[in-house]
Amino acid sequence: MSSSAQMIHDEHHRALVRRLAAELKPTRSMWPVSIRLALWMALEIGILMWVMTGSGRNVIGRLKEPAYAMEALFFGFAAVILAALALRSAIPGRFLSTLEATIAGLLVLAGTLLITASVPMDTARSVAEFVRVGLQCALRIGLYSALPLAALWWMIVRGASMQGGLSGLLAGGSAVFFAMTILRLECPNNEPLHILIWHLLPALPLAMLSALAGSRWLKFRLSRIRPRPDAANDRTQPII
Amino acid sequence: MKELDEARRGERSRLRAELMEALQKGDPDACATLFDDIGPSLTYFLRRRVADAHELEDVYQEVFMALFEARHTYEPGRPFEPWLFAIARNIAVDYSRRRWSRARWEELVAEPPEQLTEAFNRGAPELETLLAKLPSDQHEAFAMLKLDGLSIETASVKAGVSAGALKVRAHRAYKALKRLLGE
Repeated sequence: MSSSAQMIHDEHHRALVRRLAAELKPTRSMWPVSIRLALWMALEIGILMWVMTGSGRNVIGRLKEPAYAMEALFFGFAAVILAALALRSAIPGRFLSTLEATIAGLLVLAGTLLITASVPMDTARSVAEFVRVGLQCALRIGLYSALPLAALWWMIVRGASMQGGLSGLLAGGSAVFFAMTILRLECPNNEPLHILIWHLLPALPLAMLSALAGSRWLKFRLSRIRPRPDAANDRTQPII
Repeated sequence: MKELDEARRGERSRLRAELMEALQKGDPDACATLFDDIGPSLTYFLRRRVADAHELEDVYQEVFMALFEARHTYEPGRPFEPWLFAIARNIAVDYSRRRWSRARWEELVAEPPEQLTEAFNRGAPELETLLAKLPSDQHEAFAMLKLDGLSIETASVKAGVSAGALKVRAHRAYKALKRLLGE
C-alpha cells in the first residue's frame, strides 16, 4: 500500500473507531454453551415426563429390554450431542468437533440398526391400518420436535451463527431425534417397518427443512448501526 | 527466539481478551485500543482475500461493524483471535459471494441489445450529466448504492446518516433521474 493510501486508510480507520466507540453500550455476554444446553435438556426432560405421564404406558418395564433401551438411549444421546453442536455453531470461532459429529452419526446409525433388528413385521395388518396408525406417529414427530426446535432456534438467533444452514441442520437433527426418542417410548408399535417409515423417515425432511430455513434466517447478518445524531459532523473527516 | 515470539503472542492475545471483556462492559477506551490493535492484523488477513483496494476498505469496515454487533457472543476467558477471524472470514466470504453474483449479473447485462431502445435512438443523455443535475446528497446516495455497489449499511455509515435516510435519498434520486430521462 502506498503511503498516501495508507494515510487515507488510517484516517478511515480512526473515524470508524471513533464512531463505534461513541456508540458503545454495555452488553451482557451470552451464557456458556453448557448452561444453555442444560436449560434445553431440562425442557426436553419436561416434555418427556409430560408425554410419558399422559401415555400411561409402562415405559420402565419396557426399558428392561436391552435393545429397546439402547435404541432410545442412542437417539437421545445423538439429540443432545447435536444440540450442543448447534449451540456452539452460534458462537464465532467455536469450531464444530468432527469427533462429536461422528459420534452422533454413529449413534443414529446404531439406533437405526437396532430398529431393524427388533421384532419382525406383522404381515396380518392391512395397508390402510398401517398408514392410519403411521400417519399419527409421523404427525407426533413434528409435534414433539416443534418446541425443542423453537428453543434451539431462539438460542442460536441470539448468537452469531456464521453458517446458518449448518446451525439449522444441527438444530433440526437434534429436535427430530429427540422427538424420535419420545415417540419410541410412547408408541406401542414395535415393528421395524413402522418405525423406519413413520418415525425415522418424517424426521429427515424436517431436519432438512430446518437446514434450509436456517440458511435463510439463522445466519448472522449485519443490521443497521444507528448513527449518532451528530454523525453528520464526521463527514468533515472522510469515513471510508 | 521462537519461544520469545510465542510468549509475546500469548501476552498480546491475553491483553486483547481483556480489552474485549472491557469492551463488552461498555468501555470506549478499551474499544478504541482493541480496534487500533487488531487493525493491522485484520488488514493483512483481508488483503489475502480481497484484491481490490477500495473493496478492501469496505470489507474492512464491515468486519469492524460485525465485531461490534456480535460483541455479546465473545465468551470471556476464551482466546480472542479465533472469534475475531471467524467473523472476518465470514464477512470476506459473503463479500466474495456478492462480488461473484454481481460479476455474473454484469456478464448478463453486458450483452448489447439487438435493437436499440427508443430512448437510445433519441440520444439519451449520459448518466454523468444527469447525475450532475441532482442535489449532492442524492447524487452521493445513488453513486454509492448503484455505481459502487455498496450495501445500505456501509453506504449509510459512509454518508453519516441512518440507513432509512439514505434509502429516502436514493429513492428521491431515482425519481429525479426518471423525471430527467423523461424530459
